[in-house]
Amino acid sequence: MDQLVEAREAPERTTEKGWEPRIVAMVCNWCTYAGADMAGTARRVYAPSVRIVRFLCTGRIDPLFIVKAFEQGADGVVVSGCHPGDCHYVQGNLLARRRFTVFQALMDFLGLDRRRLHFAWISASEGVKWSRIVDEATAAVREAGPLRHWGRPVKGNSSAQPLLPDTDAGIAPRDPPSAEENQLITGHLQELVTNLLSDGTVSTVIGYTAGSLPQQMVPLFVNEPRDASTLGWNEHCANNLVIYLPQVLKKNRDAKIGLVTKSCDARALIPLIREGQLRREQIVLLGIPCRGMWNQGKMAAKCYSCSEEVSPFTDWTITPEGTKKGSLTSAERRQVSPDPRDREIASLGSFLPEERWDYWQRQFDRCLRCYACRAVCPLCYCATCISDKNRPQWIPTTIDGKGNMAWNVVRAMHLAGRCIGCDECARVCPAGIRLDLLNRGLVQEIERRFDFCSHVNPESSPPLTTFQPDDPDEFI
Amino acid sequence: MEREGWRLSDKEWREWVEALLRAGKLVIAPVKENDLLLFRHVLMADEISVSDQGKAQWSPKEFLFPRSEPLLIYRLRGAEVDLEEPKADEREQVLVGLRPCDAAGLSRLDDIFLLEEQDPSYAQRKKHTTIVSLACDRAEPECFCTAVGGSPAGTQGSDLLLLPLDDGWILRVLTPKGKELVAGWAARWRPALAEDWDRTEERRSAVENSIQLSPLSAQWGTALEKSFGHPLWESLGQRCLGCGICAYVCPSCSCFDINDEGNSFCGTRCRSWDSCAFARFTLHASGHNPRPTQPSRYRQRVLHKFAYFPDQHEGRFMCVGCGRCLRLCPVGIDIHHTVERAASAASPEEERP
Amino acid sequence: MSENPYRPHLMRIVDAIEETGDVRTLRLKFLEPEIASQLHWQAGQFGQFSIFGSGESVFTIANAPSRGGYIECTFRQMGKVTSGLRNLSVGQVVGFRGPYGNHFPIEEWRGRDLLFVGGGIGMAALHAPLQFALDHRDEFGEIVVLNGARAVADMVYKEEMKEWERATGVRVVRTVDPGGETPDWNGEVGLIPDVFERLRPEPDGRIVITCGPPVMLRFMLMALEKLSFKSEQVITTLENKMKCGIGQCGRCNVGRYLLCRQGPVFTWAQLKELPSDY
Repeated sequence: MDQLVEAREAPERTTEKGWEPRIVAMVCNWCTYAGADMAGTARRVYAPSVRIVRFLCTGRIDPLFIVKAFEQGADGVVVSGCHPGDCHYVQGNLLARRRFTVFQALMDFLGLDRRRLHFAWISASEGVKWSRIVDEATAAVREAGPLRHWGRPVKGNSSAQPLLPDTDAGIAPRDPPSAEENQLITGHLQELVTNLLSDGTVSTVIGYTAGSLPQQMVPLFVNEPRDASTLGWNEHCANNLVIYLPQVLKKNRDAKIGLVTKSCDARALIPLIREGQLRREQIVLLGIPCRGMWNQGKMAAKCYSCSEEVSPFTDWTITPEGTKKGSLTSAERRQVSPDPRDREIASLGSFLPEERWDYWQRQFDRCLRCYACRAVCPLCYCATCISDKNRPQWIPTTIDGKGNMAWNVVRAMHLAGRCIGCDECARVCPAGIRLDLLNRGLVQEIERRFDFCSHVNPESSPPLTTFQPDDPDEFI
Repeated sequence: MEREGWRLSDKEWREWVEALLRAGKLVIAPVKENDLLLFRHVLMADEISVSDQGKAQWSPKEFLFPRSEPLLIYRLRGAEVDLEEPKADEREQVLVGLRPCDAAGLSRLDDIFLLEEQDPSYAQRKKHTTIVSLACDRAEPECFCTAVGGSPAGTQGSDLLLLPLDDGWILRVLTPKGKELVAGWAARWRPALAEDWDRTEERRSAVENSIQLSPLSAQWGTALEKSFGHPLWESLGQRCLGCGICAYVCPSCSCFDINDEGNSFCGTRCRSWDSCAFARFTLHASGHNPRPTQPSRYRQRVLHKFAYFPDQHEGRFMCVGCGRCLRLCPVGIDIHHTVERAASAASPEEERP
Repeated sequence: MSENPYRPHLMRIVDAIEETGDVRTLRLKFLEPEIASQLHWQAGQFGQFSIFGSGESVFTIANAPSRGGYIECTFRQMGKVTSGLRNLSVGQVVGFRGPYGNHFPIEEWRGRDLLFVGGGIGMAALHAPLQFALDHRDEFGEIVVLNGARAVADMVYKEEMKEWERATGVRVVRTVDPGGETPDWNGEVGLIPDVFERLRPEPDGRIVITCGPPVMLRFMLMALEKLSFKSEQVITTLENKMKCGIGQCGRCNVGRYLLCRQGPVFTWAQLKELPSDY
């Protein structure tokens, strides 16, 4: 395996002076490139370790490119363009700024050494600033040393792995519903679905039925009223059934679909509507008041802080008492506990970056690249995923450190500002990668920075497709 | 049947593994990591987790058929090309603690990689690998090895087999390679007595009896092939999401992809695991896809394992009944159930055991 | 360690013919001449052609074994590998491994009339058996070639067809789909199966060798049925994505048959027994 990696990357550059850092500078054509040019014509002396890649605009610089640079052996990356307000294309760098904000937060979360990634605004007249930034970046990267751990844990043996706090500590789960309640709900649900299918309100209902294993509930498609009797409900209905909507709608664009949902699942509809993937009126939401999902004697982490019994968008609410049109009034907003993951995220934050890096590299090392995280994600609907594109091959096809790193970083970036926290990716990951922490970390960052929450308002613009002139950019 | 084996305490077999490590062998065994039981290289015998832990999260096939491996290294000099072959791995490795289904799964890989066209890197690794399995003392809900010709104490694919007893183990030798691995130790160990063997037999049948799923028959291959156009497949595969979990955790799945990783100066031609559930598995560059829908891809998986493969391999299924695909499938697709349904749909009159 | 089956022979591009805007024929010569004399193939077999840095792609070996010493392939620029290949020029080095698969049962065709029907790039698969038949002209009866394309500009082997026509007892019919003709087009206009029907070939003593896109194949088979051809008289070659070429990677199967070993050449009779996995 090492051989596979070795053959792919250029050897470290050593000269008579010792190791020389390799830095990739991604710069915009109009400002920074001109600035660098100016530094050259003014014969300013600056560190020679930078290779410049010129883009028309920083708006064109996808974080993917930065990942690729590291993957191909860069020890550091400098990204630079016009000052905010000076963009040749008016807003390219303002959009880029948000993207870089999130990417920087992600890399911090993963524990990439801050000395390796530099952002700057350098205008065409700032040749001096260019040479200073390059010198600073070179000095920082030199201090950090060669990057040998992109896609590899820092420490050799597994026992040194930092541990996160026990998620159960101190927080009591909610009581699961009784079997009797579940049975009553199931009965009402079956009756409602029979009616909705019979009177043509919907052509298909997607719900749950008992799977082959104990306590396993699996998705079920019901097209005929007589099949409604196979539907079921209990605290093991983990799947987010929203994932099936694009598939059903692809076959029939005008289909009306009944969907059995928990409030966490229904949230996914908001970004899907926002992104023009479906129309609200195509979906009839059959909401069931949920007290939490359970698996192997544990309540799902996302359920601790969940305050909604049913989604406010619910068209029908099915309770043990019966079926009611509309959403249950959530007058009695229930008691919530803090999300146990926040303790874990805080704990990760208290690690040294190097320890964090080690933690995540070990997690990604297990990744089998089965793409189950993508398959169960209600927001992964791209016709062709970036990982399936091969011209160019942005995500290495190899199931190894570099390929896994690229995949997991790109997946997290693409969900930033979109993820609704259903945690399906983390639930199904056979390698137990804590994708929930990764997603949640970015959700919190975006909320803090841009005051944006993906599942709130379908009319709002996605945070990475818009900007404010005064967006924070203290990291630049 | 002639049986050769020794009665060992937990401490005794761990001492033996410790000695294997000291002798420079790589030992790979189930280890607990973040609540997962995973096959890992171990540095100490005490790391090995064997007691009542069930099966590992995924099979140890990656130690013979790596997730990704280089086939060739290329370098371009102007118009010329230099090819280099990766160095073969010649370290001796011992896989310890495989459940019999996992060991049987490795023997299916032999069918693929050694039978007709020898795959040199697989053959090389196999040559340097000794397999010490671990009989099961309970069945998990997803287990169905007995339905596909296996057993909780099955010997297929193993060189040695650890059989659990209430107060220790029998280490049974199954092949000359296994015998070689205990050379020098056997003399110190106490041979297992007839009553020890009897007790392992009792355990085996108890576990076997706890597996409820009915046997599948290789005779159904024809019926399954006949079911190809049956509308049932649409409903059997409808909820499949097209992830690769089933293939990647499977002990016998061996399909792979080959890609060049690198640039137009240098790089490697790599072989990586692939899954028939992925749309791009069969997608032509033209955009045509012979298996355009998820149900058609799921059908391929089932027919490959239960019709095409047995047809060419003396009735052996390309499934060892570990049940991981069911346990880890995000939507709980049950392959045993599918085979029964599809086979009976195609020939309802068929006699079922 | 036994020989690495994935190690390709290195070959140099010695000639490149632009067949159409996106189809090109390459002639490749082995860098190690002794390989050329050791390598034997039969018409219908294919190879894995590799462009280092892009990957491997399967093409049929386009030249007949009777014209050995080099390898030809005709490919259409489509995906990553074919685009990589397209970017190479004469003098550059590519890889070849093979031959793989079964072949056309040409021995059984001796004395029969041959009718080749190719659609688009599918014609490439017929090139080798046709060349073989032309090289052994007196061993076969009448030869008819029906070469169809979507438009005049997409017609492959334009130059070669003139050469084929010069041979005795060979008739070449060119056709383009309706709307694909140019003002000076003097060939047929019509879909291949329709033009085939209009030719009214007598089934007696004739072998039909056909290859083309799946939809053309489907209508061809209907036309053949209408003209009372027996399914044993019709032979085709299938294409599926392949990676290894040696029966291991698990993707090229059509039902129980692996195209890389038991295929790609099948008679229509065999095809009828197979699921539509192609």
